[in-house]
Amino acid sequence: MKNKINFYLMEFAINALLRQKYKSIFISVVFVLLTFLLTSVFFISNSIKYELNATLDALPQIIIQATKGGKHYDIETKEVSNILQIEGVSDAVARVWGYYYFQNAGVSFSLVGIDAYETQYKDSLTKIAHKYEFETEEGKPSMMIGEGVSKIMKKNYYKNYFNFIKNDGSLKRVEIAAAFESETELESNDMIVMSKDTLRDIFDMPDSQATDIVVKVANPNEIATIASKLQFMYPTAHIVTKEDLSVRYQNIFNYKSGFFLALFVIALFTFFIIIYDKVSGLSSEEKREVGILKALGWRIDDVLKEKFYESFIISFFSYIVGVALAFAFVYLFEAPLLRDIFIGYSELKPSFELSFVFDFQTLFLVFFLSVPIYIAATIIPSWRVATLESDEVIR
Amino acid sequence: MIELKNVTKSYLVGKTQRVTALKDVNLNIKEGEVIVLKGASGSGKSSILSLIAALSKPTSGEIIVDEKKISKLSDNFASLYRRDNIGFIFQKYNLVPNLSARDNILLPLVPLNLSAKEAQEKLRSVMEMFEIAHKAETIVKNLSGGEQQRVAIARANVNNPKIIIADEPTANLDEKLSLAFIEILRELKSLNKTIVIATHDPLFFGLDFVDREIEIHNGSIVR
Ligand SMILES: Nc1ncnc2c1ncn2[C@@H]1O[C@H](COP(=O)(O)OP(=O)(O)O)[C@@H](O)[C@H]1O
Ligand SMILES: [Mg+2]
Repeated sequence: MKNKINFYLMEFAINALLRQKYKSIFISVVFVLLTFLLTSVFFISNSIKYELNATLDALPQIIIQATKGGKHYDIETKEVSNILQIEGVSDAVARVWGYYYFQNAGVSFSLVGIDAYETQYKDSLTKIAHKYEFETEEGKPSMMIGEGVSKIMKKNYYKNYFNFIKNDGSLKRVEIAAAFESETELESNDMIVMSKDTLRDIFDMPDSQATDIVVKVANPNEIATIASKLQFMYPTAHIVTKEDLSVRYQNIFNYKSGFFLALFVIALFTFFIIIYDKVSGLSSEEKREVGILKALGWRIDDVLKEKFYESFIISFFSYIVGVALAFAFVYLFEAPLLRDIFIGYSELKPSFELSFVFDFQTLFLVFFLSVPIYIAATIIPSWRVATLESDEVIR
Repeated sequence: MIELKNVTKSYLVGKTQRVTALKDVNLNIKEGEVIVLKGASGSGKSSILSLIAALSKPTSGEIIVDEKKISKLSDNFASLYRRDNIGFIFQKYNLVPNLSARDNILLPLVPLNLSAKEAQEKLRSVMEMFEIAHKAETIVKNLSGGEQQRVAIARANVNNPKIIIADEPTANLDEKLSLAFIEILRELKSLNKTIVIATHDPLFFGLDFVDREIEIHNGSIVR
């Protein structure tokens, strides 16, 4: 009898919730909002963290940019062979890339030039290079575009090709070979990949030059040493290491997580207001009811068990609803409003989509931050009343 | 069966002041007896009922029911004692106002976790006996005073207790309903229940089935 589920008690608990209809509705609404907000914030920050990690992994170890008086200039490609001479350098690649501002849509695309026969400096580019055709069958230049780019171009009626405006005002027509799915949205949604020759043509850059040179180091511990060697070799060049870049990215993210923390605190605060209200005591009606039950032969245990069922049912139900809403909100509807708080640079990324990162940890965390706290906040004041002499409570 | 030995009860009012409700009360009630406690308001009748039901503890003295020292029970055992032995009809009925008559009558059975069949049988029998079956699904706050009292009586009897306690049972009833209640008591007496009634209603004085009338004055038994 002790361990059997008492359905009468459960029925009584459900009845109790229905009896206090408005109070129950109020608690559910606040609770759903709380779990919804917390879960959404966690989901979004998880997605962003995932994106950032993937982006950081893909960063080149060292980048060399030519500068004159602090201003960027194109670098001579012939330097690649000099750099390869340095001990510890396993690879050096001259990159051709840049931003292209598409005035009609008011967005910038990242243009990346590759050579199919070269080893790519990024894994994601290797995949694209495998599928990439330099030219159409008729010998016209073509490109691969990220999904975000594809959407924007289609909106502006560029379905099969795009006209780039060159420095001298003339047009460069490039066929769209295909749109590629990006593994990480932050990184490549706004990316356009084409052959280096085509890109040089658009940017009006001679064959002997490149945007920058990326250097691969065999032993990651030597990055700093080799960076300083490079700085010594090219005193006017701007040498950027992966670490420098990481810090920059992390700063963006820290700013985000600061924001997220603020939201979190607000949510918790709301929750504690409710709890405070609960702990400050039962209403005289609720006290009287506990007294009546005790007088009718309920033990303290029975009263607390009933209160447990009551608070568990309402909080768990609200938790499930809140989490389900967060799922739909973040992954189906792309978290309108909230996502803008997190993705400050979204204007650069025409169609940033939150990638689905599912982890039970988040669900557990939100659960433990809400359900048990609420149950405790319900049971403790009931326990205080239940231990009083019922004669005093019902008089 | 019920024995009060040198029972004193005082209540704390405010921080330090005490009010003495019962002074050195000795009382012996035999099984199957019907006792009427009479006396003015404030004389200590309700206090005696609370002590017998283990709803409160004496300040000194002891209370023995069926050879058990009720006055020494822990809170948990006091609950079990009430559940198994006491049917209490409270002065203000103490129903849960937003529950149906049926659910109110079911309350003492809830912690017992009986089989559905057993619980239904107990419910049905008291609802029929006290003529409230036709209002089973009505929320009790919508019932009339007399109906509410019948719910309270049915609830006090649902677990078939040996001892029935009623505190001012006719205080809120008109004469017709009061007489009907007295008939219910007569019926309970015929079931060999031990019954203790606190009242100052003259309708209860000189009834044929009442074994003893005990008068309380200022916390002491007068006669
Ligand atoms: N919980 C309590 N706190 C303080 N005083 C009480 C309490 N209960 C009863 N009393 C006092 O004890 C005395 C007896 O009360 P009670 O037993 O209710 O008498 P009766 O039922 O005969 O009217 C009264 O003076 C009353 O005010
Ligand atoms: Mg009284």
